Amino acid sequence: MFRYLVRRFLQMILVFIATTFIVYALMYATGGDPIQALAGERPVSPTQRAQLVKEYGLDQPFWKRYLDYLNDLLHGDFGQTLTGRSINDIIAESLPTTAKLAVIAILTTILVGVTAGIIAAIRRGGIFDNSTLILTLIIIGVPTVVLAPVAQLVFTIKLPWFPTTAGEGNLYALLLPGIVLGALSVATAMRLTRTSFSENQRSDYVRTARSKGLPTRRVVGVHILRNSLIPIVTFLGIELGALMAGAIVTEGVFNINGVGFQLARALRTEDTPLVVGIVSVLVIIFLVASLVVDLLYAVLDPRIRYE
Amino acid sequence: MTNLQVGGDQPAGQHLLEVRDLFVEFHTRDGVAKVINGVSYHLDAGETLAVLGESGSGKSVTAQAIMGILDMPPAKIPKGQIFYNGDDLLKMAENRRRDIRGKDISMIFQDALSALNPVFSVGWQISETLRTRTEMSKDAAMKRAIELMDLVKIPGAKTRVKDYPHQFSGGMRQRVMIAMSLAMDPKVLIADEPTTALDVTVQAQIMDLLADLRRDLNMGMILITHDLGVVADVADRIAVMYAGRIIEHADVHSIYKQPAHPYTRGLLDSIPRLDHKGTELATIKGLPPNLMRLPTGCKYHPRCPYVQKPICVDEEPRSLNLGNGRTSACHFAKEMLDGNLG
Ligand SMILES: Nc1ncnc2c1ncn2[C@@H]1O[C@H](COP(=O)(O)OP(=O)(O)O)[C@@H](O)[C@H]1O
Ligand SMILES: [Mg+2]
Repeated sequence: MFRYLVRRFLQMILVFIATTFIVYALMYATGGDPIQALAGERPVSPTQRAQLVKEYGLDQPFWKRYLDYLNDLLHGDFGQTLTGRSINDIIAESLPTTAKLAVIAILTTILVGVTAGIIAAIRRGGIFDNSTLILTLIIIGVPTVVLAPVAQLVFTIKLPWFPTTAGEGNLYALLLPGIVLGALSVATAMRLTRTSFSENQRSDYVRTARSKGLPTRRVVGVHILRNSLIPIVTFLGIELGALMAGAIVTEGVFNINGVGFQLARALRTEDTPLVVGIVSVLVIIFLVASLVVDLLYAVLDPRIRYE
Repeated sequence: MTNLQVGGDQPAGQHLLEVRDLFVEFHTRDGVAKVINGVSYHLDAGETLAVLGESGSGKSVTAQAIMGILDMPPAKIPKGQIFYNGDDLLKMAENRRRDIRGKDISMIFQDALSALNPVFSVGWQISETLRTRTEMSKDAAMKRAIELMDLVKIPGAKTRVKDYPHQFSGGMRQRVMIAMSLAMDPKVLIADEPTTALDVTVQAQIMDLLADLRRDLNMGMILITHDLGVVADVADRIAVMYAGRIIEHADVHSIYKQPAHPYTRGLLDSIPRLDHKGTELATIKGLPPNLMRLPTGCKYHPRCPYVQKPICVDEEPRSLNLGNGRTSACHFAKEMLDGNLG
């Protein structure tokens, strides 16, 4: 187990370096003129330009700039945007909102997707199973780009149950966008849960549990559930990454000041430091999430814990 | 089709456990498989009944019907009775039946690795019934689990109680399962091919353990196996099963001495024996019947070396009472017994 952890940790560091490097290099390669982007429509005089280039280290070679950046990152400093704001501040301001959104989304996935999957598995071949099968096929086919504006139209304008935009976001305002974001993985979670659950229902250990005279609710709720959760937890952890990506669209549509929203803006204004900063944060979140999933996996499955 | 060994209208209650004229079919997409076709056998306290037969003959399905763990559907029990202490289990309300299951009658399975839950420790699994079905506290139940592990001779039970099934060897895992089945002090233990998945040397140890436990705890044991070799030392009586029916039943001694059914003789001839070294091992030719399309007459007639037309093809033999509790479902049982056939 200890060796496993060390190995996982080393992997994490490698992935982190590789990802930030790729993002940094891509932003560097797409070029554009950051100085002009900074100045907007106004003309920039050569002396101003020279000063700015020096200030931002734009005259340094690529590898030097990347290493400097990495060094700052390791000290918890994400640097400044081209407009001179602290990226740390922007992230500190927008990350909690996105985190709330992600939690609502994951809860939606669990409450709706996993529960429906279990019911479908228990009543395999029944009306619930068949209707949810069709429903999930439809939902899987609808991307967030379509779902978000439609949900906004229906539930904030036609039926004014929720505020149209969430802004800084109190929890209630984040509810609808969170559910929309979660809907993306509800269908997949349901299919996965159903499959995992039915597979376990057919296992030999279920027959043993029943032969012990345990009540059905214990056989299902303890023996089968505990085994079925193993792949579901993995899925939910990985899904967190997909949620972050989905947040760009959802936050855009509902005008939520989260990291997705900031990232979209940074891309539009070609603010390289901000893009790289936000992506680095997302990468860190993703890596930590997958580490937590691996640990949970080991907690849930002793065969892995004692490998 | 009624087995004569126990008349269909005889009163219940003279045996600890009695399966009477049981039928089980599986309704699948491909059709109806008639898996159990009138099985009757009984078990008394303190004895071991071996149920013997090729794979697919319905030994496990019968056991699962006794336990009440058949999935219905696809399984269906159109007919039959299973008496435990005189009460018909098949007529009982589910909650009363569940009370008997695992407590009065418990069962161990062939492959302990898949039959144990991989994510719970063995101590947790052994003590589960004690924790949930009795008033026993968690700690007391765990203590009892260690005692049970000692009872089935798992070395270092105290230190291993928190280990998981995959951390044990095959033989030790089977001992864990046996310990688990004994938790509620059952009166009947059904062992479904308990040694089939194990190495030969370990097989003998597990068989010995089961025999000892059966004697020490004064249980009745149904030992299901497809291996006639393992039952000789352990069983008191043997019921031979073919295509969902007991085709011969006798005490161990008599059956080894002179089988009264050609199928039993085929099984006996296919055991490797030291005194027959060098001679070729006989095997029963042909395959077990297709349960969706059972043959007419005697179900064994397509494979029987002594088949006689037309009777064997047209008429299903009744179970003949040969005295001393011996029965045989062969038209020529008496001739077999006298050694006048083959
Ligand atoms: N759930 C099921 N659905 C369909 N057929 C089954 C099912 N369980 C058992 N059977 C069939 O019943 C027959 C007897 O099985 P079983 O009792 O397990 O044989 P064995 O004597 O080897 O223990 C087999 O042909 C098997 O295919
Ligand atoms: Mg079997």
